[in-house]
Amino acid sequence: MQSPRRHGLARYVLLAPALILVFATTVYPMANAFWLSFQQWQLTKSKAPVGFVGLDNYLRAFDDRFFINSVVVTVEYTVLSVVLTLVLGLGMAVTLQKRSFINTIIRTFLIFPFAVSPALKGYSFRFMLQPDYGIIQLTLGRLFPPLADMVWLSDPWWAMFWISISEVWGWAPLYALMFIGAMGSIPTDVFDAAKVDGANNWQMFWRVTLPMIKPVIIIATLLKIIGSLRIFDQVVTMTGGGPGRATQSINYYIYQTGFRFTNMGYSAALAYLFLVVLAVLAYMYIARLYRQEN
Amino acid sequence: MATTTPTTINRPRTQGARPIRWRAVAGQIWEVFWALLTLFFVIFPIFMLVYTSFRQPLDVYSDRFFSPLTLENFRTIFFGEFAVVREFFTSLFIASVTVAIGIPFAVMAAYVFSRYRFRGAQTLLVAVLTTQFIPALMIALPFYNLFRDTGIYDTPWALIIVYLSLALPYSIWMMRGFIDSLPIEIEEAAVVDGCNEYQVLVYVTFPLVLPGIITSLVFSFILCWNEFTYALLLAGQDTITLQIAMTRTIGIQGISWELISAIGMLVMIPMFVLSFTIRKYFIEGLTMGAVK
Repeated sequence: MQSPRRHGLARYVLLAPALILVFATTVYPMANAFWLSFQQWQLTKSKAPVGFVGLDNYLRAFDDRFFINSVVVTVEYTVLSVVLTLVLGLGMAVTLQKRSFINTIIRTFLIFPFAVSPALKGYSFRFMLQPDYGIIQLTLGRLFPPLADMVWLSDPWWAMFWISISEVWGWAPLYALMFIGAMGSIPTDVFDAAKVDGANNWQMFWRVTLPMIKPVIIIATLLKIIGSLRIFDQVVTMTGGGPGRATQSINYYIYQTGFRFTNMGYSAALAYLFLVVLAVLAYMYIARLYRQEN
Repeated sequence: MATTTPTTINRPRTQGARPIRWRAVAGQIWEVFWALLTLFFVIFPIFMLVYTSFRQPLDVYSDRFFSPLTLENFRTIFFGEFAVVREFFTSLFIASVTVAIGIPFAVMAAYVFSRYRFRGAQTLLVAVLTTQFIPALMIALPFYNLFRDTGIYDTPWALIIVYLSLALPYSIWMMRGFIDSLPIEIEEAAVVDGCNEYQVLVYVTFPLVLPGIITSLVFSFILCWNEFTYALLLAGQDTITLQIAMTRTIGIQGISWELISAIGMLVMIPMFVLSFTIRKYFIEGLTMGAVK
């Protein structure tokens, strides 16, 4: 789009404030963290970095079993929450897809979890899982008596599972909204044609609906993977990384290294390793954004 | 005769329709059941927070579900020992200032990205977008040191600066999409009528993309209001936000769930209202316009 009489100055005046802010708030910390990642610096021992250590901080990460643990935990968590979000989101979408009075009302409620902050999600589920008085704990205990004495957040696997559920609760409804929108834009004659060919509901879902909304599913999945890999808030408010190290996500481990054990150099190196993975996914996502536009 | 004719005609029809109708009713009940189950799943955790915020501590920690309601918890968080009024206004101030600075800047930049062609524009925009995916900890660490050294630490500005880095890229991209969808002829007409570029932006483009501006504004506001990681790492005693205030209700007797729930109400309700106002653009906002 080219419009008449654009002199050069206006574009700089209009762009400058935003760009200066964006790059000052990201390029500065990135450059600084990059420099830090080659330094030996224990904040509790000295006020400034004590010396250049080359790639030591990076190499150390590959021998650090706690870091490797955090990678495993994060990947497990991501797979679990992405799969559950997609499955539940699709299920809800199919359930509420048909236009009816009750469905329209329920769809409005689907945006509500978005307003609940991640920290609050964490507290809410932690509360419901408490032994003796948590509603989920009590209900599951009544339905399945062997589970009555279960302390959900003290079990390594279940603690991670319930953090995922708190995330799935927040996102599946939003994904359902996305999928409902996508399903609504499928032309009806595609379904009519399938019906004429004798397809049942199940076949129509797998062979028609799913392939038609595939682009939306891919974008949603990418977005969710990026979001899930960065899990931090609920780890703090639900488990504090425990039991043991069972729910220490990558972000949480970097946080511990930098802010609890004040090992600034190592923490910065870990953040950079993490950035590499995120950058690849971010690139895929942005490429999709552009493709969607054109 | 008059009474028998309709029955003879109707009988085969009702007989034929009856089994199908029962099936349809069963199918409908089945559908409604799943719809209500979905509603239950979505609403239940929110309901529990709302309910708990109105219950007495003793009842919260018992296995009885039904108990009398009280406003005691709200008195505690407004006037009592866990008053979070100050924290409420800290959150409000930080989020408001962030969008007040960020949104006008974002609209200006988005306008350039949408309407001007110049070399490197595409690269610049991708660079801006990419900044969104930098891990929070990478940004927090250097800023923590910088803010400590410069005395910005523990002022609202520490969080405002960092939140701008969250709100700006997002809003620029969103606003660019909205401006792109606006016919350029309107702006050209304004130029013919003697507007300069700034006047076109303020008097023509700005009012026309108002829905887009409101959507970006609401999303950015919610982003800042609900932000936890930076608030935890970069704010001190004087800049505790509502999100962090929740973690402070953990006293010697453990967590006060009724107080967290009451503060949670303060956190949630304004955001419910806000997200409801933009429900039309909700999906677009959520996926940065990738899904419409």
